[in-house]
Amino acid sequence: MDTGVFLLILAWGLYAGCIYILLAIGLNLIFGVMKVVNFAHGELLMIAAYATFWVYTYSEINPYLIIPVVVLLMAFLGVLIERLCFRPILGTGKLNEIFLSLGLIYVFQNLAALLWSADSRSIHSPYSGISVSIGSITLPLDYVAIIVITFIILIVFHVFMKRTTVGRAMRAASQNREAASLMGINVERMDMLSFALGSTLAAVAGSLWMISGQMVNPYMGSIPAIKAFAVIIIGGLGSIPGAIVAGLTLGIAENIVPFLMQSFVAVFGVEMSFTAWKDTIAFFILIIVLVIRPTGIFGEKGE
Amino acid sequence: MKSDRQNIKTWIGLLSLVVALLIPLIFGINHYLLTVLIIMLVFIIYSSAWNLLALSGQGSLGHAAFFGIGGYTSAIIARSLGLHPLVTILAGGLFAAFIGVLIGLTCVRLREWFLGMVTFGFAIIVHTITTELSWLTGGWDGIPVKKLIPVTIPNYILYEYYVMLLITVVAIVIIYLITKSRVGLALEAIRENELEAKLMGINIIKYKLLAFAISAFFTGIAGALEIHHFGYITPEVYGIDISFWPIIYSISGGLFTIGGPILGTVVITFVWEVLRSFGLVYEGVVLIGLVLILIVIFLPKGLVSLPEKIKARLRL
Repeated sequence: MDTGVFLLILAWGLYAGCIYILLAIGLNLIFGVMKVVNFAHGELLMIAAYATFWVYTYSEINPYLIIPVVVLLMAFLGVLIERLCFRPILGTGKLNEIFLSLGLIYVFQNLAALLWSADSRSIHSPYSGISVSIGSITLPLDYVAIIVITFIILIVFHVFMKRTTVGRAMRAASQNREAASLMGINVERMDMLSFALGSTLAAVAGSLWMISGQMVNPYMGSIPAIKAFAVIIIGGLGSIPGAIVAGLTLGIAENIVPFLMQSFVAVFGVEMSFTAWKDTIAFFILIIVLVIRPTGIFGEKGE
Repeated sequence: MKSDRQNIKTWIGLLSLVVALLIPLIFGINHYLLTVLIIMLVFIIYSSAWNLLALSGQGSLGHAAFFGIGGYTSAIIARSLGLHPLVTILAGGLFAAFIGVLIGLTCVRLREWFLGMVTFGFAIIVHTITTELSWLTGGWDGIPVKKLIPVTIPNYILYEYYVMLLITVVAIVIIYLITKSRVGLALEAIRENELEAKLMGINIIKYKLLAFAISAFFTGIAGALEIHHFGYITPEVYGIDISFWPIIYSISGGLFTIGGPILGTVVITFVWEVLRSFGLVYEGVVLIGLVLILIVIFLPKGLVSLPEKIKARLRL
């Protein structure tokens, strides 16, 4: 097999994995603190991508500088969603959360289609023509920037959760809500904060998605979000390292499995493309993992 | 008291059936109206089937898989063996039920939202398999399908409406009898508390799989009916929104009830058609989404519980 091609696909997978990781960690945080699943998380990614698109189209400033603006906007939206939608139904049953997220998906997707039409849009980052060589492979500069930014965010996030008082309070609230509240932690504020932070991470993912030249349309959020769910189930509910490992694995597997399959059948002289199967790989992995362990790989304490 | 209420419900059911029978006589043979009503009947079966699975505590997010499998199976058998759609629809339902048991096998041990994810994933996998088997399914372009009633017959749409109505009534009665039987009670017990149900001697896996099979069967029938109405089938029958509509209908009408999915489908179809006639497509879906959110928060038992809620308010 051609090592160059293999490494290139690996790097592409790394880039795709970064988006999944950012989404998955946000979801994991919200789940940890509130024990709530927000299936509409992908719609936050979509709205952030649109926000990046519009700010960039009108201001034409460096797209990386737009990220903080989008982050603030989305954190605010996240808090609104938590206050208005999820808080009233907290503790009324898991199915209700799923149904409420469905309502949110419908509202956001069609509001976006209403305001911005259903057309796909994309932007050209000022660096889109530049590539960098790492070893034997050449990657667009934006992809490298995205991988680097994601890792910086992960480190900052890790330090925040482990070293600051607020981070500790959030971890306490996710470990034992009642005990944390008895220790004087305002758990409702932690709920709000978890949604704000989760939306922030989705916002970064959405902005980076846009900057790297991907398309945005009102319906693009569902599939990445649902894969991010697969990632946290595979990696274990509430486990941040699990989410990173599973996110990277999924990103790489999605890109490499169709390629390997193609090379495999080529040995028998069959020419066949497996790219159509890309979106199904996450679910194959998910189903296999859940058949073996119904609670996920690391999901011992979850729920 | 309770039997009184039961009587009222039976009367409401019979009354709506009479109204449904009379509609073509009142409005004449209105092609648009009858088409809307036919699709509504299809979704009444579909939502009721989804609701039956939800009754066992299993909220599927990928029922479009069964809807599409029923449609494709029926379409392909009707085309290759030349059988009448009324026969092949049954085959579509049975094959959907078979796949339902297979998918159910991976789901029975899962928690609510794990199950949601897995069923959603299966819908995507089935979608991909269908488009990749293009020699059989026509790929993305789909294949033409025999109409339930040939278009050459005068007023075919009228006959189609009555056939659909008959099938819907039969399906609803069967689903009603199932929920009132031991099976229905077992499913409710499992939903309320799995561990207690197990201690009462209920074979949880058996009943959950049974719920999957029955639900997939009727969903497959609904899918087959829809495509034999349209006259063609494309992989769009596996769309994410096809999975979500029965959920919206059931919740807005009232989960775990017989009347809920029916009422929800009728009301939302009506609202949707009115909005659409004003050209409000995206606005309409946004509104339906908002209604769903408000119902989950303020009226968790759905529209069927509205009269009781109002009564309780007035008494205060």
